[in-house]
Parts: sequence; structure tokens; C-alpha cells
Amino acid sequence: MNIAVRSGPPPIEVRGLRKLFWQATSGQAVVAIDRLDLTIAPREVVAIVGQTGCGKSTFFDMMIGLEPPTEGTLHIGDKSPHADFDYFRGKIATVFQQDRLLPWRSALDNVKLPLELIGMHEEEQHIRALTWLNRLGLGNFVNAYPHELSGGMRQRVAIARAFVVQPDILLADEAFGHLDEVTAAELRETFLALARECGSTAILITHQLEEAIGVGDRVVVFGKSAKLLADIRVAAWPKEKYAVLREAIQFTLQNNQADPRLL
Amino acid sequence: MTILNDELREPVRNFTFPRHTLVSLLIFAAFWEVLSHLAPVLGIPPFAIPSLLKIGRSIVTITPIDIVVTLARVIGALLASFVLGLAMAMAMYRSETLEKYLHPIVRLFMAVPVVSWILFAVLWFPGVEFRIGFVLVVVCGPVFLIDTLDAMRSVPRELRHMIKSFRPTTLQFFVKLMLPAIVPTIFTSWKVNISLAIRVVTIAELVGAVTGIGHQLSVAQELFSVADVFAWTIVLVALLFMMEAIVARVETRLLRWRA
Ligand SMILES: Nc1ncnc2c1ncn2[C@@H]1O[C@H](COP(=O)(O)OP(=O)(O)OP(=O)(O)O)[C@@H](O)[C@H]1O
Ligand SMILES: [Mg+2]
Repeated sequence: MNIAVRSGPPPIEVRGLRKLFWQATSGQAVVAIDRLDLTIAPREVVAIVGQTGCGKSTFFDMMIGLEPPTEGTLHIGDKSPHADFDYFRGKIATVFQQDRLLPWRSALDNVKLPLELIGMHEEEQHIRALTWLNRLGLGNFVNAYPHELSGGMRQRVAIARAFVVQPDILLADEAFGHLDEVTAAELRETFLALARECGSTAILITHQLEEAIGVGDRVVVFGKSAKLLADIRVAAWPKEKYAVLREAIQFTLQNNQADPRLL
Repeated sequence: MTILNDELREPVRNFTFPRHTLVSLLIFAAFWEVLSHLAPVLGIPPFAIPSLLKIGRSIVTITPIDIVVTLARVIGALLASFVLGLAMAMAMYRSETLEKYLHPIVRLFMAVPVVSWILFAVLWFPGVEFRIGFVLVVVCGPVFLIDTLDAMRSVPRELRHMIKSFRPTTLQFFVKLMLPAIVPTIFTSWKVNISLAIRVVTIAELVGAVTGIGHQLSVAQELFSVADVFAWTIVLVALLFMMEAIVARVETRLLRWRA
């Protein structure tokens, strides 16, 4: 199947972004994101790493538009994913850590879901969903319910569900972390190949540094409250120095400040 | 080709009358029959425990129209309660303020005894049908409301988050996620409410109705015809079991996706 490559997704511009949460019990403020500045070019593949609780998923929630910024701006093109919620229907898709399939829907119907939401014609929904399930190697399991599939297969369905709308922007929040290494590597390859083929901008959150270095044009290292500790262009590093790069990122994460080798 | 074509799927079990139920019913009937013959010896008035033959004769004389009327009242009121309860649950899910104001009232309604509702209905409304409908809806509606609202609350955050990431309209959010997610609860709620409604409708029909099983029961009571009372009671119980069996069948069919 041919995937139409469009003129290209709009750039993502984050300026002075802050996000505070108030804890329900103590009423204390938690600064999840503190004055983040970040620009992501069209079709870039960016890996985000950072210690647990540093605000990575919160950043994704704001990209998805579930939460308004407390301060600052997050723009995709000239629009805000929260304020222009409806505008981005069918333009942003997310793969989560758990597959999050609807248990009462077959694989095919799960993949159709985003197409139903954008109100696509039923026949086209069917063709598109089938095509994507086939591309992810699930042609024989179209009518299976999620509980009849393995974890890896379910995640493939979730990936098909994300790609089926051919989104401008793909988000993956630790999408491969819970799978065994071989399956994870395979799925990651598939995901990246498809993302490049679709011409989407892709942002991946990961805990594994190999994964981050392996996938990204860029690796962005978040410190506490999503402080931008390092912004690494992987292409600038020769392959034989990946071990050093890995070490430097590790050091950055541990000390909550950029390793001198990254500057 | 698909791996899971229909032939390979586990067949849905048809409803069969369980053997144990049959045996225990037969034993109970035999015990009853013996008791009815022993009644004079035991000093019990003979009309109090009619023989199976007498009950059988009463069952034959039962008027189907009364069954139809009562059934229609129950089904009508249950449908109204369901639609009303679900609509209010959805509104209360959407608006926390509404929920805070309405919740105490719903709880209050649920605490009022059925008999009080029946008396209120008689005092407030002139029409018999409206009285019966009112009592049934006011008793069954809150059960639907509370059950479905609780079920919506416990839809996993992950799934709500997932569907929101695809930006549904409010209607799509309910139709594509919330309603299918609470289908199991809806079935449980229906089963509870069917038995509730069958029991409540007869009491409501005792007051002022000139048709229906409840009315026939009160007539039988006035005539001291215990056999008729038994006959109508058996019909009621059979009706209840039948409705439950129907709901159970629809349920297994609709919830095939469950492991
Ligand atoms: N809805 C919320 N209410 C209150 N606090 C929140 C909420 N969501 C996130 N937080 C807080 O914001 C901070 C960042 O959380 P976030 O989930 O973004 O971390 P993360 O980087 O994704 O972590 P992990 O790697 O473990 O997934 C945490 O301290 C968390 O407790
Ligand atoms: Mg997270």
C-alpha cells in the first residue's frame, strides 16, 4: 500500500511551559514541568529520557491536550492542542505503555476506533484498518479479542490504531518497555520505519538508553520538573562512541546536571 | 482467513432446566401434597393448605389478560426507569456539582419504604396506571442510577485517557467507551430490578387496580380462596424466572468478549 506523504507536519514549539498540580490531600503544589523550552522540527524523531516522576508523561498529556499549561505555551504550528482540541482530531496519535485496547472490541474494531471518531466512511474504515493490521503482521487475527492475543500482539494492534489515522505527530510513552527484548526491538524497528514512511514527527519516552540512542535523531534528557539537561544530536556522534554517549547520559541523569562531554 | 471463525469458537450454552432444580421442586411438591392431606389431623383448617389438584384447577382458570397487564406494567416501568436512571447517571458523571446535589436525594429516595411510596401515589395521583408506574419508577430508577454511575466511575483511567487522546466529542466518549464498558453492570442491574419490580408491582396493584395479578390476588384473598392465591403466586414466580432467563441469555450473547 502507498502511504501518502503530505507536505509535512507542523513544528512543535514549547516556550516557558509550566505545569503545577495541587495534591488533593495536602494541597501542596507539585511542579511537574518548570519553564521548559523545546523546539521539535517536522519529521524529527526525538527520544526523551529522564528519571521516574520527572514530568515526561505530563509533557505528553499537554501534547495530547488533556491538560492546559499553568504558564507558558505549547504550540503545534500556530495552534494549541488544548485550546484547539477539536482541530487536532486525527492529527496526533499515542501509543501507551499498556496496550489500552477496548476488551469488548475485536482487533479490527479497535483499530477502527480513531477512524470512527473522525467520522470516516465505514467502508474506508474497514479497508484502512485491515491494511494496517496486515502491515503489522496481524492479518490472521483480525477478529480476535484482546484477551486472545499475546502482549506483543496487543501492542501491535495498539500501534496499528495509532498509525491508522496517519497522524502528523506520533507519541509513544514507554510503548515497548514491558515487552521482552527481542519483541521490543522488533516492534521499535517497525514503529520507526512506519513513522518515517508516513512522514510523521515521532516523540518517544523511554527508560532504556540504548533504545533512546538507537531510535532518535535527537535524545532529550529531562531532569527534575522536566528541566532540559541535555539536547543531543545523535548524528554528531560516531557509532563507535555510543558507549561514551551512553555513559554521559547516565551521568547526566544521576547528577541532575549535564555531563561536560555533552556540552 | 481468520483463525477465529465461528466454528472454532466455544459454543454458547443453551438454557437448560437444571436437573437439581427439578428434583428439589418435585420433593417440595410431594411434601406439600402430603401436608395438605394431613392438615385435618394436625388441626389446620383444610382450605389453608390446598392440594396440588386444587391448585392445578385454579391455575387452569387463570386469566391471561391479567398476566399480560402486569407484565406490560413491569416492562414499561423498567424501561422508563432504565432510560431515566442512565440519563441522570450520565449527567451526574459529567457534572460534579449536579452529582453533589442529587446524590443525597437519590439516597433518600432509596431509603423510603415501598409502602410509603404507594400511599403517596394514592394521595397524589388520580390515575391508577400512573400510580403504579410512579411507584415502580421511583423504586427501580435509583437502583439503575446508582449502579450505572458507580460503574462509570470505575472505568479505568487508562481507557478514558486513551480515548480522549483521540479527541472524541462528549457523545462519542459515552457511546464508544462508557456505555459498552458498563454493559456487564447494566445486566446485573436489570436482573436485580426485574425481581424487585415483580414484587413491588403486585403490592402496587393491590391498591385501586382493577386488572393485573395483584388485583387478582386481592380478590382471591377476599374470597378466602387459598388455592387461587397459590396459583397466582406460582405464575408470578414463573414469570420472574422466565424474565431472568431471557436476560441471562442476552447477557451471554453480548458478553462473549469476556475471557
Ligand atoms: N494528575 C496529577 N495530579 C497530581 N500530581 C500529578 C498528576 N500527574 C502527575 N503528577 C505529578 O507530576 C510529576 C510528574 O509525573 P509524570 O507522570 O509526568 O512523571 P514521568 O516522568 O512520566 O514518570 P515515569 O517515568 O515514572 O512515568 C510527579 O511528581 C507526579 O506525582
Ligand atoms: Mg510516565
